[in-house]
Amino acid sequence: MSLPDEPGNASTAGDQLRRIDAVTDAALAHLNVEDLLLELLERVQALLEVDTAAVLLLDAAAEYLVATAARGIEAEVRQGVRIPVGKGFAGRIAVEKKPVILKRVDHTTVLNPILQERGIRSLLGVPLLSRAGILGVLHVGTLGARRFTEEDVRLLEIVADRVAFATESRRAEVERTAATVLQRSLLPARLPTVPGLEMTARYVPAELGGVGGDWYDVFGTPSGGLCIVIGDVVGRGFEAAAVMGRLRSAVRAHALYEDDPAEVVGRLSHQVQRFDGHRMVATVQVAMFEPRLARLRVASAGHLAPVLVIPGQPAAVVEVANGPPVGVRNGPRYPVTTVDVPPGALLCFYTDGLVERRGSALDVGVKRLCGALVAGPVESVCASVMAQLIGGEAPGDDVALLVMRRQASAGNGPLELVMPALPGSLKTIRDAMRGWLLAVGAGPRVVVDLLLAVGEACTNVVEHAYRRGGGMVEVYLELQLPDVVATVRDTGRWRPPRGGNRGRGTVFMRKCASDVHIDHGPGGTTVVIRRSLAEAEAR
Amino acid sequence: MTVATVDVSTGSGSIRISLGGEIDLENAATVEQEILGVVSDGFTAVSVDLTNLTYMDSIGIRILFDLASRLQESDMVLELIAPRDSPARQLLDISGFGALATLSPPSSQPPSVAG
Repeated sequence: MSLPDEPGNASTAGDQLRRIDAVTDAALAHLNVEDLLLELLERVQALLEVDTAAVLLLDAAAEYLVATAARGIEAEVRQGVRIPVGKGFAGRIAVEKKPVILKRVDHTTVLNPILQERGIRSLLGVPLLSRAGILGVLHVGTLGARRFTEEDVRLLEIVADRVAFATESRRAEVERTAATVLQRSLLPARLPTVPGLEMTARYVPAELGGVGGDWYDVFGTPSGGLCIVIGDVVGRGFEAAAVMGRLRSAVRAHALYEDDPAEVVGRLSHQVQRFDGHRMVATVQVAMFEPRLARLRVASAGHLAPVLVIPGQPAAVVEVANGPPVGVRNGPRYPVTTVDVPPGALLCFYTDGLVERRGSALDVGVKRLCGALVAGPVESVCASVMAQLIGGEAPGDDVALLVMRRQASAGNGPLELVMPALPGSLKTIRDAMRGWLLAVGAGPRVVVDLLLAVGEACTNVVEHAYRRGGGMVEVYLELQLPDVVATVRDTGRWRPPRGGNRGRGTVFMRKCASDVHIDHGPGGTTVVIRRSLAEAEAR
Repeated sequence: MTVATVDVSTGSGSIRISLGGEIDLENAATVEQEILGVVSDGFTAVSVDLTNLTYMDSIGIRILFDLASRLQESDMVLELIAPRDSPARQLLDISGFGALATLSPPSSQPPSVAG
């Protein structure tokens, strides 16, 4: 697809230039691809004095050529004509990757009935080529018999070059945008609020070579623990982002039923091997905090081990037993590593884009990361890590970083929560209570009783505040040995419980506590629930 | 987010619904719809297994009461399964479910007449 070295005899050099100008016109650059194709086809129609012009593009599976733009045979596009690669006129050009001239059009040479019905006698077609290979076919036709010249072929090849370039950049742009949007939509918009644990994350997509399939996720488990997921899909672009989406949903689904991170990773690996289409590989790490946040169980499928910083000690890579990446093979059960996370300790999960640099070993990057980490406030730690490891360079790979820190020891100090009076706050309140109650040494029966009594009181606040359109619920737990005293407060007007159900709620509250006191003041309602720490002593 | 699991297995004429996770104000309506969606007149016995439920309060009990009343109207038997030391069992025992459903395993003391 080069410009002709010598102008043909059929026209003057000036004529030739004029024709080339018409199809390489810089003014066309602002048009979108659809309009550009139609405009170019129209100019080709006039320049080559042909009756029809059409562009067919290869579909995603590279099995069919699909009519995409046409002049003179618009029906071809409207009817969604598809030509199998290798068959007929266009199919032959796609396989041979060189111009084809047809002097006779009939069912033996042309597959598309529209071309025959239109009464086309002669056809000239050229391939649309890019660096990656064949993109499609551009062809022109005449109703009268026509002998296409070498010069016609060259001109059409220049147009094909332009069409191929526009189509390819458009495709790349669409894919890049879609992949970025998809990936963004799959990362948590907001990390969950977990009392006793502060966390933050950074995600920077690669600037070179398209977005990758890095992701992280944090969510509460049904048993009151916290599940942390970080992973990296091998590959780039839309496909990697789509696979990441499937993996993310799969992990969330498995974590509903499984409290064992190794089981979650194992099931994921098994499932990935049944994903249809392209073979895919990903590294995944699933870490589960138990409700009181003192211990973390980690299962890793080929992912980089997290870094733990215990206050007063240097940062250290957690010795995590690693299994193969998911999608590689069905191995034996993934190993689980249990990590003690003392109060005040900081944990750092990340993907390889943070530490991997061309020309330097991975452990150099990991050492730099350890050097940048301290057991401090997560936002400033995150900012400092990004500044020290990424700085101003354009990342060549996605970077995902998730940092969390356990609250420094509260001893047996009170638990204080102020949450929006919304249904979604109820679980957060329960999870915080579970952690606090376990820390003060409450047994399972005491935990169940207090979760229920406080839950009923909070639900009452939420139901009323919700109808009024907002408000806060305050929960305060304190140890007054031998009792735990829970106070639930709202700032709204007290409404008597409605119907049998809310009445039942108050009955439950009283049955689960040693003493319940409800005070309806002008500023709001305060419910004080007292429960002995002794297991059997509720009522 | 409060998450509950609803698993269903059916036998000839019977259906067993296993609930897991937590049920509260946030997800009660969803859970109730899922349960009502699988219970039809075609069954003579319905059992609801609460063994793996880690949290439930009066809202969950209301769902079970409503289910029990519906089933009673259609002459269907409701069995509630909850081990004696489970959180759900504690609630069932103080709610007075004996008249509307069979508790399994049976309560160690005779059930109270009213909730």
